[in-house]
Amino acid sequence: MGAKLPRGEVSLDDYRQDLEQSAAYARVTGFSVKDAVPATWLHVCTFGLQGRILRSKEFPFSLAGLVHVSNEMVLHRPVGVAERLRLAVTAENLQPHKKGATFELRGRIHVGDELVWEGSSNYLSTKADVPGDPPETKRLPMPEAQAGGASQRWRLPADLGRQYARVSGDWNPIHLHPLTARIFGFPRPIIHGMWTHARALAAFGGQLPDAYRVRVQFTKPILLPGRVGFVVDGDSFAVVDKEGKPKLVGELTEVPAAS
Amino acid sequence: MTHTAVVVGGNRTPFVKAGTKYASASAQDLLTAAIDGLVARFGLAGAKIDEVAAGAVLKHSRDFNLTRESVLGSALSPHTPAVDLAQACATGLEAVIYTSNKIRLGQARSAIAGGTDSASDAPIVVTEGLRKAILRASRARSLGDRLKALASIRPSDLMPVPPAVIEPRTGLSMGESQALTTTRWEVSREDQDQLSYDSHQNLARAWDSGFFDDLVTAYRGVSRDSILRADTTLEKLASLRTVFGRGDDATMTAGNSTALTDGAAVVLLAEESLARERNWPVLAKVVDSQIAAADYVTGAEDLLLAPTRAIPELLERGGLTLDDFELFEFHEAFASTVLATLKALEQNGVGAVDRAKVNVDGSSLAAGHPFAATGGRIVASLAKRLAERGSGAKGLISICAAGGQGAVMILEAL
Repeated sequence: MGAKLPRGEVSLDDYRQDLEQSAAYARVTGFSVKDAVPATWLHVCTFGLQGRILRSKEFPFSLAGLVHVSNEMVLHRPVGVAERLRLAVTAENLQPHKKGATFELRGRIHVGDELVWEGSSNYLSTKADVPGDPPETKRLPMPEAQAGGASQRWRLPADLGRQYARVSGDWNPIHLHPLTARIFGFPRPIIHGMWTHARALAAFGGQLPDAYRVRVQFTKPILLPGRVGFVVDGDSFAVVDKEGKPKLVGELTEVPAAS
Repeated sequence: MTHTAVVVGGNRTPFVKAGTKYASASAQDLLTAAIDGLVARFGLAGAKIDEVAAGAVLKHSRDFNLTRESVLGSALSPHTPAVDLAQACATGLEAVIYTSNKIRLGQARSAIAGGTDSASDAPIVVTEGLRKAILRASRARSLGDRLKALASIRPSDLMPVPPAVIEPRTGLSMGESQALTTTRWEVSREDQDQLSYDSHQNLARAWDSGFFDDLVTAYRGVSRDSILRADTTLEKLASLRTVFGRGDDATMTAGNSTALTDGAAVVLLAEESLARERNWPVLAKVVDSQIAAADYVTGAEDLLLAPTRAIPELLERGGLTLDDFELFEFHEAFASTVLATLKALEQNGVGAVDRAKVNVDGSSLAAGHPFAATGGRIVASLAKRLAERGSGAKGLISICAAGGQGAVMILEAL
């Protein structure tokens, strides 16, 4: 008897972005405070709805065993911080996996009738069992580091998880404190994958296109405090440890902007 | 081969009172936003500009490369070099002088000049005792030395030093210095309030007529200068209590002095032939400029009247008189600064300025004064007005600055 995801979408009409929170988010993740918001901020806007699905009675898996495996989002056009949004999230695409089962939380954001952002967060539940053969997952290509190694070095302070929790609303205890992280089997707190994702996007500075698709795969957790490097080569980028092994691999591509 | 530096256009954020809508934005965020607005207006995404010059008066030590960092955060090409300049409130105008001179020398064909300031996000200074102890601790080679250095910190060292705009050599705040000038030049309360009232009326009219539609880009939900009081009256201004000066001599109020302001402004400059190649507007050329300084420390001269030294030098070099100008922009640090400047020009025999030609679209009293951003605001607005007046129309800009300095510039429509 296989598990079933809850059906239907949860949504929020006329969502007003919090100016202060968006500025604090930019500060913690390395973006400039601009009126055009980063795609990863729009993901944060949908985070509350994601939580509503994951905590609903119909949701079949334990929250404690969930691992954020990969993420993909498309920003169809620049979205202003003052724009009112319609947020919607669904749970979809339950698939067998060799360590359990995966599913997606898909978000969509409209301004009026216009689709401006889509996101998909892929989660692995290690406590789930879905019959069948796991579909093949493609690894994103690892960017070629310049001779000499990563071109950026980021220093992640011990309290970064708490800083990011405050601006994102993601208070998962594995990110907050050594004691709470230890309960879940981590020697030290680990930074949120979505912080690393945002920080990597911020590393593109003013060169981020108006409309883009960005995909990331979270390969290894980053312990706090910590130091990691950033490598970029064309469309491919990665956050790496000091041996150059990936913590996150990503791909950023420009898409035609919807006008 | 001579080169002509022209003003193509400008962009700024709306200016807001410190501690309000931009409180969570840094000076760098504001400058980046102003540059990005300019990039959007003139299609400069990915373009290499030959140099960007800007600065901030209130500057964190982390902002040692403020302008370059703002360029990297903007949509300009990362090959765009940048420089930080500083000359207190004349920073923005000095940036226009610097870049236009490079264009005139053929060292650059395109440039962006401007400035930014956030009084909300001003650096807090720590006491000398704390600063020295921390420096000693960071140099210490052993744990013992480090602890010894840190143990030397006294509780009183932990009090922050509040930010203030104080002249180091006189110990007077700018308002207190200007109060001396106000008394010396016998500038009346009524004249100051009238000038302030005119500033608000003129700026409000410019906004209502759409004058700023291609000069300002909204930021953080603000689309209009927030200090502007279109509905203020002379009666209301007359009712305000004085904040600078003593006894019966006190005439300066919050209504006729500029407020602490957050904002940023930039100007796009180009060699004339490049502007024409690109089909950019050619609003006005930078004719000439002059800096001067006053001996204010001894009290012989006034802190904010150095432009009265710069203006005659500039006029003489160009063979011009004050009658040759259609428009004047006198930065309103305080209403009495403008009025004392006009009195001094007249008394020194430089000439009389027709008040009807002064600050016709309002100035810092109504718009606010994010120190380093004021020059960019004035240059872009004046260039646009001169272009409307037609070829040959000249305008004079005068900006006073801390340290007893003043910068002045002539623009002329082509």
